[in-house]
This record gives sequence, C-alpha cells and structure tokens, in this order.
Amino acid sequence: MATLSRRDFFSRFIPKASEPEVTSKETAGPKVAIIQGRFCLAYQNSFCSVCKERCPESGAIVSERGIPRIIADKCTGCNICHNVCPAPTNAILMTSPPENHSGATPTDTQPAHPFF
Amino acid sequence: MMNMNRRHFLKSTALAAAVAAAQQRANGNYENTELDAALASDGVKWDKAPCRFCGTGCHVRVGVKDNKVVAIQGEQLAEVNKGLLCVKGYHVGGILYGKDRLKEPMLRKNGKLEKITWDEAIEVIAKRVYDKPSEFAIYGSGQWTIPEGYAAQKFIKGGLSNNHIDPNARLCMASAVTGYLSTHGVDEPAGCYDDLDACDVMIMWGNNPAEMHPVLFSRVIDRRTKGEEVKLIDIGTRRTRTTEYSDEYLEFRPQSDLAIANGIAHLLIKNGTYDKEFVSKFCNFRKDTESPSLFGQASTFEEYSQLLEEYTPEHVEAISGVPADKIRMLGDLFGRRDIRITSLWCMGVNQHTRGTNMNRLLHGIHMLSGHFGKPGDAPTSLTGQPSACGTAREVGTLAHALPGGRIVAKDDHRADCEKLWNLPKGRINAKPGYHTMKMWEQFCTATDQGGDINTVWVQVTNPGHTLPHLKKHFQNKKNLKDKFLIVSEVYPTATTKLADLVLPAAMWVEKNGVFGNSERRTQQWFKMVDAPGNARDDCWMTIAVAHKLYEMGLEGMKDKNGNFIFNIVDESGSTVPVWEWKHYYDVNTDEQLYNEYREFTFMKHKDVAPYDELVKARGLRWPVVKKEDGKWHETPFRFMEFSDSYVEKGKGLQFYHSVTKDDKALIWFCPYEAATEEPDSEFPVWLCTGRVLEHWHTGSMTRRIPQLRNAMPHAYLEMNPEDAKEQGLSNGDIAIIETRRGKIELPVWLDGRGHPPRGSIFVPFFDENLLINELTLGDIDPISKEPDYKKCAAVVYKKGAPSPLSKSKG
Ligand code: SF4
Ligand code: SF4
Ligand code: SF4
Repeated sequence: MATLSRRDFFSRFIPKASEPEVTSKETAGPKVAIIQGRFCLAYQNSFCSVCKERCPESGAIVSERGIPRIIADKCTGCNICHNVCPAPTNAILMTSPPENHSGATPTDTQPAHPFF
Repeated sequence: MMNMNRRHFLKSTALAAAVAAAQQRANGNYENTELDAALASDGVKWDKAPCRFCGTGCHVRVGVKDNKVVAIQGEQLAEVNKGLLCVKGYHVGGILYGKDRLKEPMLRKNGKLEKITWDEAIEVIAKRVYDKPSEFAIYGSGQWTIPEGYAAQKFIKGGLSNNHIDPNARLCMASAVTGYLSTHGVDEPAGCYDDLDACDVMIMWGNNPAEMHPVLFSRVIDRRTKGEEVKLIDIGTRRTRTTEYSDEYLEFRPQSDLAIANGIAHLLIKNGTYDKEFVSKFCNFRKDTESPSLFGQASTFEEYSQLLEEYTPEHVEAISGVPADKIRMLGDLFGRRDIRITSLWCMGVNQHTRGTNMNRLLHGIHMLSGHFGKPGDAPTSLTGQPSACGTAREVGTLAHALPGGRIVAKDDHRADCEKLWNLPKGRINAKPGYHTMKMWEQFCTATDQGGDINTVWVQVTNPGHTLPHLKKHFQNKKNLKDKFLIVSEVYPTATTKLADLVLPAAMWVEKNGVFGNSERRTQQWFKMVDAPGNARDDCWMTIAVAHKLYEMGLEGMKDKNGNFIFNIVDESGSTVPVWEWKHYYDVNTDEQLYNEYREFTFMKHKDVAPYDELVKARGLRWPVVKKEDGKWHETPFRFMEFSDSYVEKGKGLQFYHSVTKDDKALIWFCPYEAATEEPDSEFPVWLCTGRVLEHWHTGSMTRRIPQLRNAMPHAYLEMNPEDAKEQGLSNGDIAIIETRRGKIELPVWLDGRGHPPRGSIFVPFFDENLLINELTLGDIDPISKEPDYKKCAAVVYKKGAPSPLSKSKG
C-alpha cells in the first residue's frame, strides 16, 4: 500500500484527488516562514487557518484564538504555507532564519484590532 | 496606527487582487457621488456592488480598467461589512476570468455540444415551450437577481399558467420560510445584523458562521477584541472553527435539537421564568394537526405546558446526549431578563426532515422568554445565497407563491397579480407547481410512467451537483431521450454535462442587478464590464424566449389588451425591443422590472426602496418608508414600534400580519421525532455534508480562483481519529463511504478543520469530482419540502479492505 509522506500529503493536500496546483512553486532554501500580520486574513478577524492546517511540521505553526504564529525553530522552510496562503497579498514571507527564535517581526504580533 | 494597518491592508488588497479585464458602465445615468473621490489617478474607476457569494451581503468596491475588473476592496461605506471581506470576497473579481468561461450557445447534437447562434437557441427553447407549455419548468436560484427572478416568475405564472417554477432555495431556506410564516404570519426575520452588536449571548444552532458567514461572525469577535463581553454558545453535532471561539460547546446527537429546544421551554415553564407579560400580550399557542400543516391547530398555554411536561433536562439528555446541567444552563439564560440573546441558525436547522418544526421551536423559546423585540434579542435565520431572501422569498419564485408574499392558492392574491400584470382574469393557475424535489423527480421519470415535466430550464444554479440522491433526482435523465435540459451557465458544471442546450450567461458586474440579503437588505449595482464572447444576461434570455413565443402566437405571452407581457419603454413611453440583444441596454431594463415588482411589495409591508434610493445606498432594509422629513427610511427592526413605522402608535410590538389576526405571534409545540434514516448495524455512522470557507457552494466560481483552489483543493472525509483507527485509516488514506444510495472514495483528513464525534463523519459538497450528493438521502420536511443533507446512515471502510456490507449481503 502506497503511503505518502506527510509532506506529500499536506503539500498536495490529499493525494489522488488532487489536481495540479495552479501557482508555481518557489524553490525551498535555507529559510523560515514568517507571517506578515498586515496581510494575513486571520489578523483582520477574517478567519483563515490554511497555513496551519497544511504545514507538515507539527508545532511549526500554532494558533491562538484563531491567529496563527510560526515557531521559527520548528519551521523547515518547506514553503508550503507560502504556496497555499490565500490572502490577497500573500501573507507568508520566506526569509533567512532570525537570530532569536521569533516567528514574527514585532509589528506583526499585534493583536487583531477592532474593526466594527 | 491600527487604522494605518487597515488602510494599508485594503490598499494592497486592491492592487493584489488585480485580475485581468474594461470599463463600460452600462447605464451612466447615475453617479455614485460618494465614490467619485475614489477615482484614482491610475485610471481605475471604482463602483459598488454586493459580493457575489454568500447571504451575508457584504459590499465590495470594484475597480475597473479597460473593460476589466482589476481590483476589489471591501466597501467601507457598507454597514454590513465596513470594509472587511472574507477570503472569497477578496477574490470575487476572479470569478469572471476562469479560462473555461462559456461564451457561445451550444446544442447537443449526436451526444456532443456544438456551437449554435443565439437566434437558433431561442427558437429551440420557444419550440419546446410551445409544444408542451404545461410541462415546461424553470429551476432558478437565490442567485438570480431580483429582476431576473421576477421576469422568470411572470413568464411561468403569468405567461404559461403552470406554476412550475422553483428555486434552489428550496434546498436551503424553505424551512426558515415556513418557520417565519407559521410564527409571524409573514416571512423573513424581524431582527437584523445589528442584533449581533447588541446581544450578550449568541447561540449558534448547528451553525458554523466562522466559515459560512465569516464577516458576520467577525462582527461579534471584534466586539470581544474591544473588550466587550459576549458569550458564545455553539450547539452542534461536530466541533468546527466556530467552536474554537465559543464559551460553551454542546454536542447533540443529530436530530435531537428538537428535544433541546423543548427542554428549554420546559424549564421556562417549570421555573416560572417565562415572560408572562410578553406571552399574554403578544402570543397564541399552536400545535400540529394530525398530518403536518403550515398553520396547524389552535392550542392553549395549559396544553402547551402539558405537552412539554416530559422534556425534563434528564429526558433531553437521554435523547440528545447533552448533559442535563447544560440544558439547565440554557434554561437559566433564557429565563433571565437582564441579558439579550440572539439565536443564529442556517442549514443545520433548515436542512432537516423536521426543519419547519425546529424553526418554530426556536421562535417559540424566544417568544416564551420574551427574548424578542429588542435589539440583541432575536431569533435570526441566515441565508447562504446572496439573494435567497430578495429573489426566492420576496419575489416568491417558489412553486406555490406569487410576488410580495402572495400565494397561488388564494383567489384574491391571484386576482391581485392578474390586475398588476394586466392579465385576463383566471390566467394564473390556482394549483401550485412542482416543488424542487418533485420537479426533478418528474423530470427524471419516463414520460410514459407519469414523468410530466418534459423540459427544465436551469438558471443560475447547479442542480446536477446539489440535489440530494443525485441518481434519482438528476442523473436518471441521461436515459430519457424525450426529456430536454436547458442550462444557463457561466462555466461547465455537473449540470451542463447532461444539458441538451447550454446558454452562456453574463454574471455579476457583467450585468445590472439587485440582490436581497439575509437581513432584508436590498442591494443594487450596475453593469461595469462586458461579458465575454456571446454570453448574455439571464433576464434577456427569458424576455427573448417570451417574445419569440409571443411572435408564435402563444396566448399566454399577451396581456389582456393583446400586448407583450414584458413592456420595456423609453423616456417617451414607446416600447423598446429589448428582446433584441442590441437593444437590451438601450434602457435600464432592470430598473423597469424592479419598479414593476416594487408594486407587489406593499401588501405585506415589504416595501422595497425606490431604485434611485438603492443606487445611492449600500443596501436598504425593507420596509423602506418615506417619512414626514421627505426622506426614505429603512427598518432595521420589524414589528417593533421604535423602528417599524407600520406598527400602530402605542402598541410597542405588533405582529401586523398575525395568523390569528389579533396582532399576536404563535408559539408552537412540536415534538422530538427520530430522523427518517438513522444509523443501524449495516450503516453505523451519521453522514453530514456542508460547506467550507474557501468555496462557495458547488465551487463552480471559487474553484476557478487559483488562491482559493490551492487553499482548499478538493473534498475530503472528516472523521473521528478513534473511528479512523478502528478502520485502519490514517491521514491521507483513501476511505470508501457507502450509503444505501451509492458509494464514493475520499481521502481522510483527521484533526483538520472540523472534529466529528465518534460515530459521525462529515464531507464537504463543493467538489465536482467527488459528488457526495450521490449518497445523500433526499427525504424532505413535510411542510417546507426541504431535504435533509445533514444526516443519513453510512458505512466507512478503508479502500482495499473488504466491504463490511458484503458480509451481510453475501
Ligand atoms: S515553511 Fe515552515 S511554517 Fe511553512 S509549512 Fe513549511 S515548515 Fe510549516
Ligand atoms: S494562510 Fe495566509 S492569510 Fe491564512 S492564516 Fe495563514 S498567513 Fe494568514
Ligand atoms: S462571501 Fe459572504 S462573508 Fe465573504 S465577503 Fe462575500 S458576502 Fe461577505
């Protein structure tokens, strides 16, 4: 029986039924992902959790009250979250690993602000 | 600083959501003054439109350049969404530009769809109608614009006199309609979205607004972010994203929501905490007749209390699995006068073989406890389609209805319509047409076996994907050579696969339109870009066919003076031949049809706003009434004196279309009854179907948007990890799901977005390649005729493993 790797499963979501992805993939490098809060739907209370659902590294993306955060230590830089982020401006930036273990830049960790 | 973020976000959205596409405002007679300032130096022209997708009814700003939609922003002037959109909304512009847009009419010849001209297509349809007018049906939708639905309605009921018109809304909110009708005597919510801003407690009944009405849900979550206290209670059959935000999650056994509602009513009476004054001033009691009926029979408070006697918290726990003390918690909340409670529901309550009853019970507990009639105290059903309220319910494009809350069974209602339409007396048939399920069953039954629907014209919907038990209700058509399926569509779908004639349609801002959202808000927009190829407006198609029939001499297409039933005129009052496409946009046909329709809305006090007012507004909630100040005022809260000008002075609250004609609403007793198909030894699990955030309904639009498709590429099976383990299934494995109606292979997704309890599975229905509706049940609510998609019995096993069914079947 063909078992697919965790990575296959999440990058293509679910095998067999998958259709080819429409966007082109960027090559993965020695990078980590960060979430740019100002572009992230979840940060606007517009509810999104795609990156967290599809990240193949357990614990690399955590979410509190619906707001995702990347744990840089656990991120392998596989690029999947960037490829699947549906925000109008892709909210996931692949960047060189930071010195300290923060998955987000300071401005990005602001809580979602009231909108109505 | 926060605002900078917001603005930045919106600005970049506008740039990033840029999709290919040209600016040609169809009718430049109006100026959206408020948007003039938004005209950017880059030559992008902005205009407003409601989002094409869900019933929330957000407004977007559409940026147009060179006859293409190039940018989308959330509309900050819109009260519904104040600039915010959900992920679908931000990408709404992309729906116009899928590579496989249908651009030419196509007729099936020797099994293949071949390009024909519009003249030929219109002739083919006219001939089908002419030969068998009584067997011709239109199947439409809550995505019809109001003028489109109105034209189709007039064509069928006023023209063909057969009443065979029904919308897909039958599959969606028919039970909400019967719930409101049998409670208030008139359809549609009394409250509105403002209730979400004012409630202290929000109870979601089988509802997942975080995914299905995200912008609405964010209104409540934002209140929390501001530090306000709102208690969220999720009463559901599986954990969803909404559960993550909820203070309480009460998990019930499917179908037992009826028992929970009764348990609350039981406690209100037992504890004496019901609102005695409210009940004596504003309520009468009802119970069902022997066979279920819309208005049932009179009952009394005493009888009501007695019927509720058995619904003790312990009894309710035994039925539902919800702990008795949680039922008490709900009872206590409803018993309190110092808090405001809003109930929200959508498909979980409506797609239910006792959907009408469940709607009634929810209204009932709000009435009994007096949690009604003040902002924040409201039982509110949500709709899934942008104009389920506007076009299906208000225009009355249902098989038994006429515009503005009238029904075909009533002599005076028919007479009224005949007068407004200037038709000869007796033109409208008193016999209701076939409701959706019956229409498709008749269409898929051989003519010599009584299948007396010969031709169906599908407009703006995808029944080959959404009807339950697809084989019976749709796919069986394949072998019936004399049946003819006409489909107006924008993309190839499961429905066009069986179509004999495909008509390419203009969509959204490629045409003028008016929608009506879940909170009685009527919203208007103008055509902003041309449709591709030879795609044309649905409304034009209907008028063109009607005129062809008029030319052929079909009596029904004439009014009582012998004139064509659709008379669109220019400023001087002379007829414009809008049935010829080149003249369709010579005048604003939409506006004239809307104005004609508007006359129908006054009888039931559903007065929609004048067209010109809609042009200026971001939607207005009816009744829209002109007051002494000479201005038009909308009505956020219906039946309530402080808001609704149709309430007599001093009454406070008045159900002015009361069933009992005494300005009172009805509180119903409805028992818990078992589901029509429950799990058993052969099919041991509950199968529930539903939607996901990224895709709108059948995905025919959203699956053509790369970002949305990547984010949610295909359907999956959600199940409890323990159950999966028992079947040897892990993430990504292919499982087989089987019901009595069919089977399907689906990849398993464990601990994904939703978390079903043991003995229960969930499959989203958006995926055209994995049609879960081949498995769903198709049993209907006896009153609303709405089918249940939320529960049937299934068996799940790993692909390759022996079928558990083969053992029992040998
Ligand atoms: S790049 Fe990092 S965070 Fe993103 S999916 Fe891969 S492992 Fe997860
Ligand atoms: S996928 Fe993108 S928009 Fe969605 S939560 Fe992750 S970063 Fe935010
Ligand atoms: S899909 Fe619904 S919630 Fe999302 S933007 Fe459109 S109307 Fe608003």
